[in-house]
Formats: sequence, C-alpha cells, structure tokens
Amino acid sequence: MSAVNTWNSTQHFWLIILGFCVAFVPRFLPLMLFTKRAIPEWFNEWMKFVPVSLFTALVVKDIFIDSASYALILNHFSEMLAAVVVVIIAYRTRSMAISVITGLIAVFLLSMFIA
Amino acid sequence: MNKRRPNPKQVADPNEPLWRSTLRVAMPLNLSYIPIGLACGILLHAAGFNTLLTGLVSILIFSGGAQFLIATMLTINSPLLSIVLMLFFLELRYALLSSSLSPYLKGQSNHFLFIFAVSLNDENYAINYLKFATDKKWTGKEALMVEHYSLLFWAVSNIVGSLIGSTLKIDLGIVNFALTALFLYMIVMQIKNRLTVVICLISGVLAAVCMMLTKSTLGLVISTIIASLIGFYLETTLRKHLPDSHWLWKLRGPGAKKSAVENTDE
Repeated sequence: MSAVNTWNSTQHFWLIILGFCVAFVPRFLPLMLFTKRAIPEWFNEWMKFVPVSLFTALVVKDIFIDSASYALILNHFSEMLAAVVVVIIAYRTRSMAISVITGLIAVFLLSMFIA
Repeated sequence: MNKRRPNPKQVADPNEPLWRSTLRVAMPLNLSYIPIGLACGILLHAAGFNTLLTGLVSILIFSGGAQFLIATMLTINSPLLSIVLMLFFLELRYALLSSSLSPYLKGQSNHFLFIFAVSLNDENYAINYLKFATDKKWTGKEALMVEHYSLLFWAVSNIVGSLIGSTLKIDLGIVNFALTALFLYMIVMQIKNRLTVVICLISGVLAAVCMMLTKSTLGLVISTIIASLIGFYLETTLRKHLPDSHWLWKLRGPGAKKSAVENTDE
C-alpha cells in the first residue's frame, strides 16, 4: 500500500462518472423491467453466486497477493489471524460495524506483536 | 450498516410526522454508517481524492464496498478500465436487490424509479425490504426517505473523514484492513449452505491463480465469472440429480433473524 497514486482530479472525476454509470444501470434496469414482467430464473440462479465469489477474490487479493508484483505472499500473519477474528465476529454478531471495528483493532494489535 | 431491525416494541404514534417516523426506522443504519464512512473518507483521501470529489463519489456511487474498492485500486495504480470493470462486477449484485424490491414498487412512475435506483444500496435495501414485507403501510415514499437519510449520513461521514485525513497520518495498511473486514463480513452474510463454502474456496484459489497469471486485477473479474458459473452449474446439477444432497443443507447462522445475544454455537 506504499505506492502513491498519480492521478489528477479530472481523472478522478471521470472515474466517478463511469463508476456512477456501472453502479446505476444494474440498480435501475431490473426495477424498470421487473415492475412490469418476470425475471429469468437462470439469471437469478447465476447472480446468486456472484457476490460471494467476488468478495472471496477480493479478500484473497488483500491478504495473499502482493499489490505491486502480483506474487503470492504467505507471511501476512497478522492479517490472516485478524481475518479469522472478523469471520467469527461477523458470524456471531451479524453486525457490519462491529465486525469492521473489531477487525481494525485486531490487525492493529496483532501487527504490534507479530513483526 | 448492519441488519439490525427497528425496535419491534416501538408504539406507532399516529400524530408523529412522517419525517420523524422514517428517521427512527433509518437511525440504526445511519449511526453505523458514521465509523465506516469516516474510514472510507480517510482512505479516499489517502488514495488522492480531494474532499469535493469524495462528497461526489459518496452521493453518486453510494456504496461502501465500491468506494473502498476504488480507494484500494487507486493506491495500487490500477488502470481505469480495470477499476470500472471491477466496479461493474461488484455492482452487478444490485440487479438482484432491485429485482426483489420491484413487486413492492409496481405502478410507480419511471421518474420515481430513477430517483429510487440512484440511492439504493445494500443496507437501506435490507431495511426497506423488511419494512415492505412486514408493514402494509410502508410505501415507496417512505422507502425513499430511508434511502435519503442514509445517503445524508454516509456522505457527511465521508466528507468529514476526508477532512480528518488531511490532518492525520495513518497507516494505510491497517486502515485498508477495514475493506478486507467489510468483504469478510459480506461473505459471512452470503453463506447459506455448504455449497457456498465450497464456492468460496474455489473462488479464493482461482483468484490467486488468475491474478498471478494476468499480473493484474483483471484476474479478479475472470475468477469471479468462473467461480460463479461453477456455483451455478453445481447447484443446478445437484438440484436436478441429488435434491437431498447434504451440500444443499442450509447453514443456520446465529442471529439470522434475531440479535446474536440470545444464540449459542451451532
């Protein structure tokens, strides 16, 4: 996470506009269509697996992949342990705020003890 | 940001103005947006976003996961196309949310649906879906008010975070774990049966392999498509040939409906 981003505000602005488009279309189109007709079943069944696959991939990227070289790294022990803590807390509390805050505290404390 | 429900014991006061009764429904969500919004604003600031743009992104995209993703991908200098593609796949799930709300919004004008879609997100969806399903008096108008309250708290927290970010020197590696924790939380909330756990493992391995091969975050997109298709295929096949397979057994999490306090281990 050490690399400093070199984009300027104009590039950020276009990123937001494009991001808005890709965020808006999936929210709006189904509302438009399905307040009038039924959803194709296979699409629904497929979409069910998209969030869980995506979030797992993102977690793997954060913990096991080096952000510069994309090499596999297996020595981020404080993140790995904190991830286990977060899963347990999330499972028990079902609260996003508590899970995130506990995770932050856990990774902070663990990184002090595990160098 | 959590799925806490409004206090069921609250007595409906018929004279209470609408703005206050909907605010009361939205309040647990609003409060939990504050810490995460602050963290998100700090991260976006660290990624190079100025305060104005942080406000803009909070209003236009209004999605914790997407904004954290933007911040991370900017700090690793991903190309624009890669970020937008990732956002697209991240936001695709909203197609499911808005599909499932559509029965309750039949007969609304296209203008209303447009405004409603702009500020729909995971958390206010959770509140509104529950209210629509349990409260007959809950209409699109009230739902939209809940969306706008949560939008207000989210945007203000992000802007404050962005301002704090300029005075604070933070360890980005640690604050970035907020993102990882957020996604871990979302995974846990998504796990419904043993098959989902298998898909998680497949997706994790595929993600690592694809990213090492592509040397870019495009590997995330590829592994997501493959893993979700495998999940779709496995579930359809199991349902057809082995409908009693234990892989389809439901996993009951504590507090799936109620608060976790009264639950023990599974």
